[in-house]
Amino acid sequence: MKFKNGITEKSIIVKSGADMMLPFSVVFGIYIILFGTVSPGGGFQGGVMVAAAALLLYLGHGYGTAKSAINTEVLRVGEALGATLYVILGLCGIFLGANFCRNIFFDNGAVGDLISAGTITFMGYSVGFKVLTGVSFLLMLMMSLLAPDTDEDEEEEEDEE
Amino acid sequence: MKAKKIVAVVSLAVILAFGIYAVVFASTLPRTYEGKTNVVDLLNDQTNYDVSNPGGVADVIVSENLEKTMAANNVAAVVFDFRGYDTLGESFILLTAIAGSFVILSKAKKHKKEDDK
Repeated sequence: MKFKNGITEKSIIVKSGADMMLPFSVVFGIYIILFGTVSPGGGFQGGVMVAAAALLLYLGHGYGTAKSAINTEVLRVGEALGATLYVILGLCGIFLGANFCRNIFFDNGAVGDLISAGTITFMGYSVGFKVLTGVSFLLMLMMSLLAPDTDEDEEEEEDEE
Repeated sequence: MKAKKIVAVVSLAVILAFGIYAVVFASTLPRTYEGKTNVVDLLNDQTNYDVSNPGGVADVIVSENLEKTMAANNVAAVVFDFRGYDTLGESFILLTAIAGSFVILSKAKKHKKEDDK
């Protein structure tokens, strides 16, 4: 069944399954990123789990909904921001008189706290943000190839030409 | 155009000068390997190998991790502290991979639309 704007009606089972799993994947992925220094997991794993939400949105509701819900420009900028943040945190060591990636202020907080272990925590957050935005940007790119062409895209192209 | 060339030449010369200075400075530093253990002999006759600490580096990391990094998760400490360079390279591999696929896939999308027409 097909509606306007390229939105396709999926099977009710796929749709409800995606709807059920989407909040869990987002919340659990963010939890894994935030508690990377304390419990198993870390930036890479949690970022990919959050990025899977884009795929679930596509599976359940089609490319039109995913495109309207996710701003790809923000994702593209966010990936570069995360990479820059990681380099800046690594350079903290050089600014404070040690070598690159040295953990300078590692004695903040107690062992097992959320904010402890100095730059390790914040490096984990920056890598998580980078992977989250980068992988979901990649998934959106791949979805745009799979999706049928919508009318809006063609109009935009004509304007460009 | 000429000013750009001059700037490029000057900056390359500065980088070269600093590189030569770094090489000369590093050659005066003491050696990191003392030469007390002959590696070739150890490989030929392995009965002399020190097996008093069978865990090796893993044991050292597990026992000294808390006082060195204060991170409860040893893997996070290794990935973001001891091997920070490695993680930097990994995340930049992802960045380049996504940039490359962005270029290729956006071109493929254009070609696909032309084929459809």
